[in-house]
Amino acid sequence: MMDITKLTAYETVKRIKSGEIGVKETLLSYLKKIEEREDLIKTFILIDRDRAIKKAEELDQLEHKEGLLFGLPVAIKDNINVYGYEATAGSKILKGYVSLYDASVVESIKRENGIILGKTNCDEFAMGSSTENSAFFPTRNPVNLEYVPGGSSGGSAACVAAEEVAIAIGSDTGGSIREPAAFCGVVGLKPTYGRVSRYGLIAFASSLDVIGPLSKDVRDAALMLNVIAGFDAHDETTVDIKVDDYLDTLEGNIKGKKIGVIKEVMDFEVQKELKDALESSIQKLKGEGCEILEISIPYLKYALPSYYIIAPSEASSNLARFDGVRYGYESDGAYLREFYENTRTEGFGDEVKRRILIGTFALSEGYFEDYYLKASKVRRIIEMDFENAFEQVDALILPTTATTAFKLNEKKSPLEMYMTDIFTIPVNLAGLPAISVPAGTDKAGLPVGVQLVGKWFEEALLLRIAHHIEE
Amino acid sequence: MSKFDIEKVERLAGLKLKEDERERIKRDIDEIINYFDILKEVDTDGIDPLVYTKWTRLTLRNDEVHTGLTLEEIKKNRKLFGNNFFRVRRIIGE
Repeated sequence: MMDITKLTAYETVKRIKSGEIGVKETLLSYLKKIEEREDLIKTFILIDRDRAIKKAEELDQLEHKEGLLFGLPVAIKDNINVYGYEATAGSKILKGYVSLYDASVVESIKRENGIILGKTNCDEFAMGSSTENSAFFPTRNPVNLEYVPGGSSGGSAACVAAEEVAIAIGSDTGGSIREPAAFCGVVGLKPTYGRVSRYGLIAFASSLDVIGPLSKDVRDAALMLNVIAGFDAHDETTVDIKVDDYLDTLEGNIKGKKIGVIKEVMDFEVQKELKDALESSIQKLKGEGCEILEISIPYLKYALPSYYIIAPSEASSNLARFDGVRYGYESDGAYLREFYENTRTEGFGDEVKRRILIGTFALSEGYFEDYYLKASKVRRIIEMDFENAFEQVDALILPTTATTAFKLNEKKSPLEMYMTDIFTIPVNLAGLPAISVPAGTDKAGLPVGVQLVGKWFEEALLLRIAHHIEE
Repeated sequence: MSKFDIEKVERLAGLKLKEDERERIKRDIDEIINYFDILKEVDTDGIDPLVYTKWTRLTLRNDEVHTGLTLEEIKKNRKLFGNNFFRVRRIIGE
């Protein structure tokens, strides 16, 4: 008998529509997988079997099977609002907060008849690279349970890798879709900033946050991008320019396309197997008739410090709203200020407090110019570096991470943890689209990812190139 | 001498750390802030700060009335008091 959970999202929808498999049958296959694996991996903060089954039964009754995601089980990262479900963003401070509306991406998924199966675990407020910063429990890497799944969308990456769901939604501020995708051996797409609405995403750093899919293959990423891309009046930063049919543009050759290899990447220490994977992807591209050019992003190494000033600065402002008065965790205190301080100090975890403090410092009188303003100017220079690069090439290729997944509880200082994101962060600073594609495993059997970066709003070409290098 | 006065920043951020927590977090942050010094190497004279990517435009919305959340909905997340107000702790007299 066919194991439905092995199918890609695209294949699943196709087979449901042809009548070969039922919606409820599909859902039950995934729920069975969840039952078998979830205790070990712990990818979900919330699963709503009843509501999902009810929806599946409704869809099975329909005569016309319409919608791009018809009957497809989808998981949503817990920092994205789904009506009627708790949205904690992995934080104690939001425990008990129930979403009163759907995020725009969730609305789009429901409109296309996808089934929301549950909310996935993440680092608290998406701050982290291992999902160990979740206030509730760590998620484990399905490939090897001793290892982290990456983060912050670790739950979303792990549930796709574990075949507990057909496709998942994550968010990426500095690599939070691509890094866990690479660690778990799935595809992770970070669209251009402004391509997908952030309405209903619990904000971490508003000028950097982007929502995107984690999927079994590139075609599935294209399918989901078709559903979630486009202008949204609820998010003023979405850009009203043409959305391609990304499934349509996926096929076709990439002959003559110019691909840049970033010279400065090799200034960093990169695990050998990741260099090898990059090299073999480059060879594949050559085989497809691409021209490979060496490109310089001279200010690459300044992306990390720039990001770790800008992102916490924005976070310190965004997270000021969590005060215990209107929703979520509530502490005590005789006076208002005491109540605020107690609620926030007890409600936020260490990493979130660290970032709030760094951000508050960087924005404070006397330090603003040297930190926040300086970092924002460096950000401009990095954007200009990419602009120059994209005058010469159609896409860039580099490793997603410098190492494969690390072990759970492996002692790392916060700064060491930040270094995990060196190859993903520059892309967020410039607002570019990028995708991480599985490219084999290291000698320990852990997945390796290769990252492609495209021009602004040129996801169509990015996905097509990625489709050519995926295994 | 660290320029990071953690107690002052805590006050600005609405946080109040416990003593052992404060020491640990300050140590981490000092290390991180020192690392930021590398940015001094970059000449940023005459460079405009980038706050939003170049594609972002400020647009005006049509002046239309939309319905927001109802009181009933808001009450799902926090019990309201009196004439449907949130209750906060005392402000005066601290």
